[in-house]
Amino acid sequence: MKAKLIFIPLAGIVIAGGPAYATVFLSVEQAQSVLFPGATFQPDTRMLTDEQVKAIERASGVNVRSKQMKVWRVSTGGWFIVDEVVGKHEYIPFALGLDDRGAVKGVEVLEYREAYGDQIRNPEWRKQFLDKGPDTKLQLGKNIHNISGATLSCKHITDGVQRLLATYELVLKQSER
Amino acid sequence: MNSYSNSLSVERAQPWLGTLVSIRIEGLPVPQAHRAIDAAFKEIAVVHRRMSFHDADSDVGQLNRNRTRRPVTVHPYTFEVLQWAMRLSSFSNGCFDISVAAELVDWQLLPRPAGAEHVPRGSWRDIELLPDCQVVFHRPLWIDLGGIAKGFAVDRATERLRACGALHTVVNAGGDIRVQGKSAAMIRLGAESSTHAMPVLELADGSVAGSSSQRQWRCDAGLPCSPHVDGIQRSPAPTDRFVCVVAKQCVVADALTKVVMAQGQDSVRTLRQFGASAHLYASPGVWRHLEPDERGAETE
Repeated sequence: MKAKLIFIPLAGIVIAGGPAYATVFLSVEQAQSVLFPGATFQPDTRMLTDEQVKAIERASGVNVRSKQMKVWRVSTGGWFIVDEVVGKHEYIPFALGLDDRGAVKGVEVLEYREAYGDQIRNPEWRKQFLDKGPDTKLQLGKNIHNISGATLSCKHITDGVQRLLATYELVLKQSER
Repeated sequence: MNSYSNSLSVERAQPWLGTLVSIRIEGLPVPQAHRAIDAAFKEIAVVHRRMSFHDADSDVGQLNRNRTRRPVTVHPYTFEVLQWAMRLSSFSNGCFDISVAAELVDWQLLPRPAGAEHVPRGSWRDIELLPDCQVVFHRPLWIDLGGIAKGFAVDRATERLRACGALHTVVNAGGDIRVQGKSAAMIRLGAESSTHAMPVLELADGSVAGSSSQRQWRCDAGLPCSPHVDGIQRSPAPTDRFVCVVAKQCVVADALTKVVMAQGQDSVRTLRQFGASAHLYASPGVWRHLEPDERGAETE
């Protein structure tokens, strides 16, 4: 075992896309392969009506933020849905696989972005990220993947899954052959 | 599109154990890496289902509502976590205690178990582990494995990844992290310690668990409370510090953060028992290294 605590001057760190920690886990196509190996996918994008939104919110207790749904029918049965929830500061896109009975087959987070703590509101702190060139050695999310000791709740994701399960019951199930 | 290209690094994340769990594999063919990650997440799912405080049907839920004082049979993983918990309680003289769930319910940081009338006041000493994964509470108790099960899940996932041929891996369950292999991972510590430098732990072939109490908690009555409880005093741990514990096994690192949080430098003896060390940030500008073989060293 090797463990060493080091202190990296913030002036030496580049943060891609602003002062945030970002990790891309899977593309939509990769998530499809992971959740339904060997299947093909038929896009079935749809727009929820006001009545459907109300019914979903009533059934799940979770607000519907977008009426547009990115849905695919799976050749081997079931549904593949891409959606997003609001995390602590940023959107978190995720994929949900439902089997042919509407049960959760799997949830894969596609990307995780997190603002770097409360310090992002400090103008002095933010100034350090201006004009940093590509020669800088470290990038948050690229060289530094993990954070230990920062609160990270997944409640918004589990709420998002509840909302999509209600959407399946009230909308998608009706259109199954 | 065939997404199974031959990249050398695969990382996925799923919501489990109330947090985001990510698994990263280096140097394995991509299809094999995905199969290994699938198997590792299955291990984490077992821990999630069996050890949830919130789910009345989990092993923990059944133990907490069992008032008969008859043995309850639990999953071997639950039993193993309870064995670790008892060992940690014994070596820390009760500073680590899974029965502080009673205080957490009192402070409304955990929901009251269904049908419960009185808050039980027993301790880890009232728990007996019997053969064949049987557990008996000699007094009514509420236990919460939230302070140890994430680390255990990380260890189980890491072992499953190794069994699948993945030898360079990082498993992270909400900041409880195990790095397998000789190449070091850079792990940012979520301490609000400085606006000029970022604390980063360079870690290879070991585990780290970090925890921050740099926030004041108040329960509804306005009194101080905290998710970090000193099991001896049955009171909130100090609310001014960041701790990270480094140990071979993540279950040990996870559990010992509670002891270091509560006892600060006095936790060195317990750290020694488990071959662990800790970094403690409790006063402005000073990081203290709690290394059992040396006297606490200061940095920065």
